[in-house]
Amino acid sequence: MGEIILGMPGPWAEDCREKADHYTTKIGGLPDWPTPDLGIKDDLLRCSLCGRSLCLVAQVYAPISSPKLNLEERVIYVLGCPMPKCGSDPRSWRALRVQKCHSEMQLDGNGQVAKPLEEDPAPILRTNNYLEEDSSVTGSGREEDESDSDMDLQEFARALSEASSLASQSKKQSTSKHSGSTVKAMGTKPRVNDLSMPVVPCFYIYSQKEQSTGDKDAICASYSSLSIKEKQSTATDTEDEEKWEGETYEYDRALGADRTYLKFKKQLDAHPEQCFRYSYGGNPLLATTDLAECGTCKFCGSSRNYEMQLMPPLLYFLHEAAECSSTYSPEGWSWMTLIICTCSKSCCPSFCGDKRVSCCWGVAEEAIIIQDE
Amino acid sequence: MAERGGERGGFGRGRGDRGRGRGDRRGGRRGGRRDEEEKWVPVTKLGRLVKEGRIQSLEQIYLHSLPVKEHQIVDTLLGPQLKDEVMKIMPVQKQTRAGQRTRFKAFVVVGDGNGHVGLGVKCSKEVATAIRGSIILAKLSVIPVRRGYWGNKIGKPHTVPCKVTGKCGSVTVRMVPAPRGAGIVAARVPKKVLQFAGIEDVFTSSRGSTKTLGNFVKATFDCLMKTYGFLTPDFWRETRFTKSPFQEYTDLLAKPNKAIVLEDNTERVEA
Repeated sequence: MGEIILGMPGPWAEDCREKADHYTTKIGGLPDWPTPDLGIKDDLLRCSLCGRSLCLVAQVYAPISSPKLNLEERVIYVLGCPMPKCGSDPRSWRALRVQKCHSEMQLDGNGQVAKPLEEDPAPILRTNNYLEEDSSVTGSGREEDESDSDMDLQEFARALSEASSLASQSKKQSTSKHSGSTVKAMGTKPRVNDLSMPVVPCFYIYSQKEQSTGDKDAICASYSSLSIKEKQSTATDTEDEEKWEGETYEYDRALGADRTYLKFKKQLDAHPEQCFRYSYGGNPLLATTDLAECGTCKFCGSSRNYEMQLMPPLLYFLHEAAECSSTYSPEGWSWMTLIICTCSKSCCPSFCGDKRVSCCWGVAEEAIIIQDE
Repeated sequence: MAERGGERGGFGRGRGDRGRGRGDRRGGRRGGRRDEEEKWVPVTKLGRLVKEGRIQSLEQIYLHSLPVKEHQIVDTLLGPQLKDEVMKIMPVQKQTRAGQRTRFKAFVVVGDGNGHVGLGVKCSKEVATAIRGSIILAKLSVIPVRRGYWGNKIGKPHTVPCKVTGKCGSVTVRMVPAPRGAGIVAARVPKKVLQFAGIEDVFTSSRGSTKTLGNFVKATFDCLMKTYGFLTPDFWRETRFTKSPFQEYTDLLAKPNKAIVLEDNTERVEA
């Protein structure tokens, strides 16, 4: 697949803990698991270095529609550890691929309409159900319950603006009972802040196809800081004996930057706000020349291929937002790009026979490669 | 060859949006497509620090030998004082089966005339692209130039502090301190580089195939790079190490003045 899709920043979430659905692509906030009982092992949600809870960095709805494979219910979650020391170690990052088995899709028909059944109860019951469901989801703390009850009615809508506008509506209606958003208010969890998931500021993503390289020159033309002297002035040196001789093609070089990085930066300058690049099966845009191996899929053993990579503007936006509010701003993150490789066959990570819908969601851990500055 | 009508004299234009303050960040990205290419979103950690204003001068970056990977950093720190000039655009050719493939190679020197100079070389199929690319590369390669005195230490430094020599290819350039009023005694092309560096008086001597002016200019640039590499008795004193900007910034953030995780739905708690 040659085309590259860029994830451009959209509207901020009104509240960084607001709930969306698993079809939403967003950065930060709390992960929207497709079903509350995914059965994710606790150590998948914890940093392998320090043991603390990971926080959601990116949630990308990544369906595959190719002639060979058609998966509509597929989401990629990228989790990272906000502790200062764990930022640049690849072991403290995790990429989870959550997808529904292909066989189930035929029963459900159109993926847009079908929803897991347990997400469909009446809103009044929902408030009570949350208390029980949350205790079954390890490692993630969901705070605003009463405000979520209104949003459940609208959960079918995928439009990003609807999600954020509803959050602002529900916020006005929420009572003061859940205004103190610590886990202690829940009362169902024996362990408190250690297990509550840290949250980084949340914003939504809209996708945009990357323009072809021919436009990049036009984009470079819009740099206001670059001035170009008129060509006539350089003609004065032909009058004397100075001739510039012996010049050949020369690759780009600067004092602190090599050719690979300069190409990376050029792509970034074409779209300065890109938060991630998505290209299933394509080639990653490397920032440094050494690229570690992806490894093989743990479930089916097939090789992994590149799917998407996170880009530095994401860090800038998170940092910018965290200064405005008191949510967590991880300063230890200073990677140049984070490359995520997933199973090339996108195998089904769960073992399901003729069971109900709820147990056919599978979670697979995928590989992350960090390229530092 | 399409070119934008630039300004004569190679005066660098400052960035248009430097006047805007740090306004409302939460709403500041609405309609981000509009001036997407104008806005600088920093990519490196150093870029983020510069954009916030925590680094005031390039000297703080040079002191810790941090690589400058974004040309907007230099733009922000040096700003309108930075002037650029295209020294030469020449075609370079490669023989292919279908004839000759011509690309244009642009040499650009940037400098503020006060101790900072950069040299950029870029090849491209179009002249305008080569010029813009080489301006960016020149800004990425801005180096500090040390100036000193020939004799009496009165007034501002005006010449190189000692005899230095730089080499590129077969060309070696030697710079010798000169008294005030001597002016830059050099060939026309490297003289431009020295003017941009802010050196007022110097004697130069070159050797090798100076016809290859590309190498000649690079040798001069290499020579200027070495001015701060030369150990003189002024530097004998023990260095008092200061914290690098990253370390300083991390320590600033590690202070417990931010509440983690606890936040209110109805009100925003400011750190």
